[in-house]
Amino acid sequence: MAPDPASAKAGQAQARPAKWSRSGSSEGALWGYCQGSGKQPYQTMVDLSGPAFRCSCPSRKFPCKHAVGLMVLWSTGELAAADEPDWVESWLTERNSRAERAAERAEKKPGEVADPLAAQQRASRRADRVSAGMAELRSWLDDQVRRGLSGFEQRGYDELSRLAARMVDAQAPGVAGAVRRAAGVVGRGHGWPGELLEELALIHLTVSAHSRLADLPPATADTVQTRIGWTVETARVQAEGEKVEDDWLVLGRVVEPDDRLTVRRLWLRGATSGRLALILAFAPAGRRLDPLPARPGELVPAVLSFYPGALPLRALLDQTAPRLPAAKPAGMSARQALASYVESLTADPWNERWPLVLQDVRPARNGENWALVDPAGDALELLPTVDPWKLLAVSAGDPVTVTGEWNRAGFRPMTAWHTDRAVIV
Amino acid sequence: MRGWDGLVSSALLGTERRPPNFEELPPPIQQQLSGEPGLLDAAALATLYKRAGRLPLRGVEPLPVAEGEDRPLPRPNAIRRLTAMLTGFQSAALGEWLRIAEAKGWGIPPEHLPALADYARGRAEYRPLVVAAAGRRAAWLAGLNPEWRFLHEAVGEDPELWTHGNSIQRRAWFRALRQRDPGAALDALGEVWPTEPASARAEFLGVLKTNLSGADEDLLEQALDDKAKDVRRVAAGLLARIDGSRYGVRMAERVSTYLVQSQGVLAVTLPERVSKAMERDGIDAQAHPGLGRRAWWLRQIVAAAPLPAPGILQLPVEGIAAEVLQAAWAEAAVREQNVEWARALLRHNAATDNRTSELLRVLPPDELPAAIEHLRARIDLSDLVGGLPVPWSASVAELVLDQLVKVGTARNWARLAGIAARAVPPEALNHPITREPTGEEDTWRSRLVETLVFRREMYEELS
Repeated sequence: MAPDPASAKAGQAQARPAKWSRSGSSEGALWGYCQGSGKQPYQTMVDLSGPAFRCSCPSRKFPCKHAVGLMVLWSTGELAAADEPDWVESWLTERNSRAERAAERAEKKPGEVADPLAAQQRASRRADRVSAGMAELRSWLDDQVRRGLSGFEQRGYDELSRLAARMVDAQAPGVAGAVRRAAGVVGRGHGWPGELLEELALIHLTVSAHSRLADLPPATADTVQTRIGWTVETARVQAEGEKVEDDWLVLGRVVEPDDRLTVRRLWLRGATSGRLALILAFAPAGRRLDPLPARPGELVPAVLSFYPGALPLRALLDQTAPRLPAAKPAGMSARQALASYVESLTADPWNERWPLVLQDVRPARNGENWALVDPAGDALELLPTVDPWKLLAVSAGDPVTVTGEWNRAGFRPMTAWHTDRAVIV
Repeated sequence: MRGWDGLVSSALLGTERRPPNFEELPPPIQQQLSGEPGLLDAAALATLYKRAGRLPLRGVEPLPVAEGEDRPLPRPNAIRRLTAMLTGFQSAALGEWLRIAEAKGWGIPPEHLPALADYARGRAEYRPLVVAAAGRRAAWLAGLNPEWRFLHEAVGEDPELWTHGNSIQRRAWFRALRQRDPGAALDALGEVWPTEPASARAEFLGVLKTNLSGADEDLLEQALDDKAKDVRRVAAGLLARIDGSRYGVRMAERVSTYLVQSQGVLAVTLPERVSKAMERDGIDAQAHPGLGRRAWWLRQIVAAAPLPAPGILQLPVEGIAAEVLQAAWAEAAVREQNVEWARALLRHNAATDNRTSELLRVLPPDELPAAIEHLRARIDLSDLVGGLPVPWSASVAELVLDQLVKVGTARNWARLAGIAARAVPPEALNHPITREPTGEEDTWRSRLVETLVFRREMYEELS
């Protein structure tokens, strides 16, 4: 592994446990602090999957003698097994996401497949694994229902988490996510058995749909594939996706930071077409997302390329002109808004989020939480986790037009208009 | 939904033990079930049926509307600057932004009120600004969020607030009335006086400092007999500020028994004891650290008495250290805002008991630069100007900035630069120092220039 004999020798010299502190090894990595000539010890880490190396020492040899020493120590069994410390973990995560991005880039070179035969083989291998995963999931679900979920409060979370990991192995990350969500329901509030049944029933629906994939209308089949976790390459969306040109009003955005990945959902509505669209953006935790094409309440003249599916929402945006100011958008009553969500469910029964534009709603107390009431007296509740104060201050009790995401737990406001001024709430 | 609970209990117990009963489900679901449906097939349909059947809530009462008008909003770049300050960039200028906006009649974008209210919650000096900025939304938000109770300080003229408001509303109402109609405020206080608790008596009395006059004397004399020491202390302090008050006469008489001016000498006799009458007038009989008991009594009397002509400062003093008298006169000069005395004390380098800055504030602005030049031989420049009210007069600002231009990068000027960055008035923000190049290692200088430029742009945007 050493770049030259001199390095190998120098590495051997570093391979003494006394030189190292806070060192350790995990399945994927080695790390430690090595006291050099300076005041600060060098921070050394090795990613075994590469292998890849990083060290804070100034050496230009690669790997440096510290990394070599660490590997020698490891090979002689002198590195204790331990959990990766934060600094190692964050390096590994960063490397992983970089590798993923590189792979993605390699994968989606438009119109050029390096080895069509190999690609086809890869695809059919994956289809087999997904099918096996779905079969496993089906028999697991049938088993649970036959024997009963009553012991789930104790074992359910672990069992579902394991199952989710199995679905990741089966290359069905979408279903894995659904199973993880089901795990999150277990034992929460006294209505959890009903909610768990809802989640499991919808997973079951995915599994059943997968077994009849060939019989489904193509758009529905695409939706099912997306649920399971097949991703459509952006190049394909750009090339083959449905194209809609319009001035797109930015209804609002939701940013969800996570430990690993920040997700931003940007909701748009076509000024003439009235079409709704969702632009997703991702960034590794702590990194900046791409800038928004326009602020909420502004128009982006653009061509959208929609991903396939029975409820085509997700799209890629190709901006065609500078953004424009826009007036207060027209919206719906609470009743009309719920009806539009129901309509979305008939196309995609798994749909979890739906953008609403509520017109002339006023804030209200709803027990411990808050709600928005329309002029007819119909109200939608805000999600209990939402901070209502900006919205309240903007309204001051006056009717406002509010956009937000609706899911069955409540409404999450994104943007409010009192006069023609759009305000992120 | 009908039949759903049956599905849940089948799922909990297991279909082996409790086979599901689909007959209970609504007919449209049953019609969709074909072949040999399993529990999960039925549950999936039922789940969608439930979700699709969701109705809006009824009977939820909207909040009342906040009464009043909204002020116009400033230009977008001014709003962007406010947003930046609320997210931590140059947030020390936040108060200034609010003050300019208030003076120019601009409103505050309401979506920033929650952040501003949270900011002012722990910083009392910002509260009046946020209350003003919140406008018609102030009391409305205060009613919704107990953490923002201070927003109740937004004053309505409704006299109900005086009799039925909470303590914040009452204080605000009373302060506003005192500003507008001092006599009416005195009457309002007289009416409730006997029934207020001691803390409220002291607090309301303190408000009389605004527009204080001889009309207030009777109530204050009465307060000198109050049971509560705090009330007596506030009353004595206020009486000493009223020209020609009986209190002043009593104090002047006392002074004339202890201080006798004859043949160009000021001869001092120290008081033997503190009489009941003296105690009633607020003279503290307790010992004072660093001063003999009797000297302390004398100093209090001189400080509370009307000032004589400042020429007395020239006389040699016998019987006590002259500094004791000087400190007492300095205290009185600040209380009376007496320009002649302030000028004389500063010129004589008199002992002022740390009141130098307060005395400087008494001087007319155009005398300040000369006074500062005179004093800086003895007193650090940043100590001198650090105590001046902000913003400084343009002449003081120019004196300080001219000085900073000359001093290079020496680190010991950092403190003065830090003070100046915030205290320079708008008309001096364009000082040549902002156009001089600053190096990267010039920490205090580049920070000063950055702040001055930031503030200059802020004034331009809000003009």
